[in-house]
Amino acid sequence: MNVSLIWWGLGIYFVISLFIAFLSRTGKQTNMGAYFLGDRKLGGFVSALSYSATTYSAFMLVGLAGLTYSGGVGALGFELIYLMGVSLIAFFGPRFWIVGKKYGYITPSQMIGNRYQSKAVAITIAISNCLFLIPYSAVQLAGVGYLLQGISNQQISFHTGVIIATVLAIIFAYIAGIRSVAWTDSLQSLFMIIGSTFVVLFLIHELGGFTVFVQKLETNHPELLTVPGNGFFSFLTFIGLTIPWFFFSISNPQVSQRLFMPASLKSMRHMLLGFMIFGFIYTFVSIFWGYSAFLLEPGLGNPDLATSVVLTSSAIPPVLGVIVMVGIIAAAVSTIDSILLTLSSMFAKDVYGNIKKESADRAQLKLGKIVIPIIAIMAYFFANLQLNLIAVLSVASSAGLIVVVPAIIGAFFWKKGTAIAVLASVIIPGIAVLIIELFQIKPFGLASGLWGLILSSLLFISVSLFTKAPKQKADEFIDYIQDNVYKKNLS
Amino acid sequence: MKEKNWAILIGTIVLAAFIIPFTFLSSVEKWYGSMLFWPILTLIVIACNAILTKDWSNEE
Repeated sequence: MNVSLIWWGLGIYFVISLFIAFLSRTGKQTNMGAYFLGDRKLGGFVSALSYSATTYSAFMLVGLAGLTYSGGVGALGFELIYLMGVSLIAFFGPRFWIVGKKYGYITPSQMIGNRYQSKAVAITIAISNCLFLIPYSAVQLAGVGYLLQGISNQQISFHTGVIIATVLAIIFAYIAGIRSVAWTDSLQSLFMIIGSTFVVLFLIHELGGFTVFVQKLETNHPELLTVPGNGFFSFLTFIGLTIPWFFFSISNPQVSQRLFMPASLKSMRHMLLGFMIFGFIYTFVSIFWGYSAFLLEPGLGNPDLATSVVLTSSAIPPVLGVIVMVGIIAAAVSTIDSILLTLSSMFAKDVYGNIKKESADRAQLKLGKIVIPIIAIMAYFFANLQLNLIAVLSVASSAGLIVVVPAIIGAFFWKKGTAIAVLASVIIPGIAVLIIELFQIKPFGLASGLWGLILSSLLFISVSLFTKAPKQKADEFIDYIQDNVYKKNLS
Repeated sequence: MKEKNWAILIGTIVLAAFIIPFTFLSSVEKWYGSMLFWPILTLIVIACNAILTKDWSNEE
């Protein structure tokens, strides 16, 4: 693709996003709640689009299309079961929201630490989240590097691409904290969905219309319409992939922190339903993208190349190709900037705030702002190192974050859960997941995420039974939810 | 309907989403097999969420 066209596309994207980021600045961001949670006043529409942009990274149009290319319709089932899992927000959302307001929580790890009355819990969860999410961000940055390198025929180097993505993520996070992230996210999600939908419509047209498209699949590649189909999606592989993602909306802090932010429960409802509709459409677009690549060019050695096959195909006018390239970069950047903010708020609140006694809110905010570029630069270096370990940690991220799920469910529904049980259920299964991923083993055929969930559930329950629960806090926390959310809004 | 019953209903749908494509639909090599089944279940779940959250209030 023409390099000057690519630069023009990037330039226009940058200028519009920067404009939106500056527009988003309202009020003074002089405390943690304002900077990281938008004063808990986000409206439903922006919340929905921003939630979508944060959740859907470059994975969708690269990885999910690649999964479809390799295994067919199972990829659709995987992604839609994840989407059904977002229903967890209908149950956990109001609970996060109401205790967030009452106790002034800024981060999910702060909430869990306070609920179990343990600073060690807050610090441990914050650090383990960083351990898995920084490499995940690094892989997103590297994704942008590879995309620009591939699409420009090596004329834009991998490093240039990585630097561009890092700088964009820092700027969007820095200008106004969560406000600039939410607003630029909204714009980026529109880029993502409009651009990619157009491409799919073009491709289907190129392949002879929707009916012919489906007929081609049914006649020539029927195995791509069933599971296990060609064998790629065996049942165990399918659940190993799907279950960690099912819990994504409560296990991943960059999205669960969003549950503190809506202005009202009505705004949260708009966020939830808006996201589900966005996700439904975007999933279809990504799946058809993968199928089209297969029909256009079956037999690629590396299925992750499916995206560049589509983008460089003659069916796509170059301008549309550039729009989608910007869409994929936007998807990566909008995921990274949210992770940057969440991790820096965790570092400031849970690590610094708990280690240094009597640190004021203002000092935490100052530190949080210093940490944003530091985390971004760490991700940048990881992306450039291209170590195997980074890839392992990134792949392990959904499995590594799932170990917190029993502690989160327990916080809201089980008064007997204890701090020691949380520590055991986060640390031991977290290490187990890392070992399983590092040595690429599948004990009893089960993937790392399943082991993480099984081990952490067993440890959380059994250790709780033998240790002392913070009874007073548990009663106060859970009863407050019952009295204020449940009776008023969820009858 | 109580919150708990909604949880059971959605849980059952999710369970069906794991089991049925791998059993009854595993030999239906048509667009109206798994490719239609999963989206229908998802739309039902979205509708459940819409009903379940319809009374969430405007109160800040």
